[in-house]
Amino acid sequence: MTFLKIGAVLVVAVVVQLTVFVDVRVADVAPELLALIAVLAGFLAGPERGSTIAFGAGLLWDVWLPTPLGLAAMAFAIVAFGVGSIEAGLFHDSRLQVSALVFLGTFAAVCGYALLGEVVGQRGLVDLELLRVGLIAGVLNAALAPFMLRPMAWALRGPMTFGAPAAARS
Amino acid sequence: MALAQRTGRSRHRLILLALTAITLLTVDLNGFGPIESAQRVTRDVLHPVTSLGAAVFSPVGDAWNSVFNYGALEDENDALRAEIDELRGAIVRGEADSETLQRLLEATDLPYVDDVARVTANVVRGSVGNFDDHVVTIDKGSRNGIREGMAVVTRAGIVGRVERVDNSTATVQLISDASLFIGARLVSTSEVGLGHSVPGESGIFVIDRGLDYPDSDDLDLLPDIGSAVVTAGESSYPADIPIGIVLSAERSGDEASMEVRVELSNNVDDLHFVTILLVDPTEDFPLGTVDAGVPAAPPAEESTDDSTSGDDE
Repeated sequence: MTFLKIGAVLVVAVVVQLTVFVDVRVADVAPELLALIAVLAGFLAGPERGSTIAFGAGLLWDVWLPTPLGLAAMAFAIVAFGVGSIEAGLFHDSRLQVSALVFLGTFAAVCGYALLGEVVGQRGLVDLELLRVGLIAGVLNAALAPFMLRPMAWALRGPMTFGAPAAARS
Repeated sequence: MALAQRTGRSRHRLILLALTAITLLTVDLNGFGPIESAQRVTRDVLHPVTSLGAAVFSPVGDAWNSVFNYGALEDENDALRAEIDELRGAIVRGEADSETLQRLLEATDLPYVDDVARVTANVVRGSVGNFDDHVVTIDKGSRNGIREGMAVVTRAGIVGRVERVDNSTATVQLISDASLFIGARLVSTSEVGLGHSVPGESGIFVIDRGLDYPDSDDLDLLPDIGSAVVTAGESSYPADIPIGIVLSAERSGDEASMEVRVELSNNVDDLHFVTILLVDPTEDFPLGTVDAGVPAAPPAEESTDDSTSGDDE
């Protein structure tokens, strides 16, 4: 059931990204909803489950991107793992801290995607523009994070049909 | 102890995911058919949902654009008014050097692939991510006879090539993408070279491969400024599709070859309708060389779509 709920959240996020955020952009930069889901998955579900969910989110997003399949998946999984690991040691729940984590996580995901893309031969992804895109996308995702927390918490509630059981978060 | 075990398990999971991603990257970069098919099926399955979403959320985008891009629309209107004034002035004065691109292309009497089957499509969205600025999605796909590599045009000329084809949609790589190389012919000299857009210079195309600078500095052998540039018959696309007009022709860095700067005839920043020429592309034009022996485009196929007009934006 959790698997289906996560799938539903991912599909809705892709649809919103493909429809709303094609037009709704700030300084020609769109929020990265799938990266936001990846960061929140790491935050809410921990490094193990979070990285798996982030991998799925990246894989779904890769289907629409012109870059090869697996690029966003790998970047998102690494970021979710990092966020989950950091969160376990340092953070406690608060809106501000979640937004700060989402900002940093999105920036890392965007930059990681571009860097990995250059490694596999996708030219033109790494330049000064990357910093601008990463920062703006980070700010936008941080602003959207409070709205995404509830659906992600809903999707992650209950036992997972893959991976470890849901982490008990208080 | 339990924490260490959990950390170790997490790392193993991450390594497994990374290896899976590397495997997918490798097979996708090598054009492994089943991976491409799986992606195509995913897009096709979700296409009705994204279409519904586009209909539902389009007011949001419209409202956003009307509020935050109003200034850009005003600027565009001002530019169009200025262009109209300039055209009126040119007509009144009758000055040949200030003719519009359209009149120039008409004057060259190019056939512009009149006998080629074509499909007209709507541009349904622009770039979806933050790293694909030079891509648009159209509402026609493989069921309309579209295949990868086909030329995409408007009445003003070439705008790009079909990059990815799904059942009912397709993705077009625009000519503004500097990685898209196009075989070009200078109409005034019939010389053929290879060109691409210039990153950071909107509307500029440069032909920097395959053209020799005249040995004797005979200016008659240089292309006329303002003359037309069209696709070459030896390129991956049908011949004689307008690309733009010559802005300048100069020696390149090695002194022996020529670099021709071209003003693109199309503005690809605001496309609404495009036409896909249903001609299978030939082998990719060899980069760095201009081989006159490359076969010309094969004859046109039968159109599989009723909307075979050449209307554009």
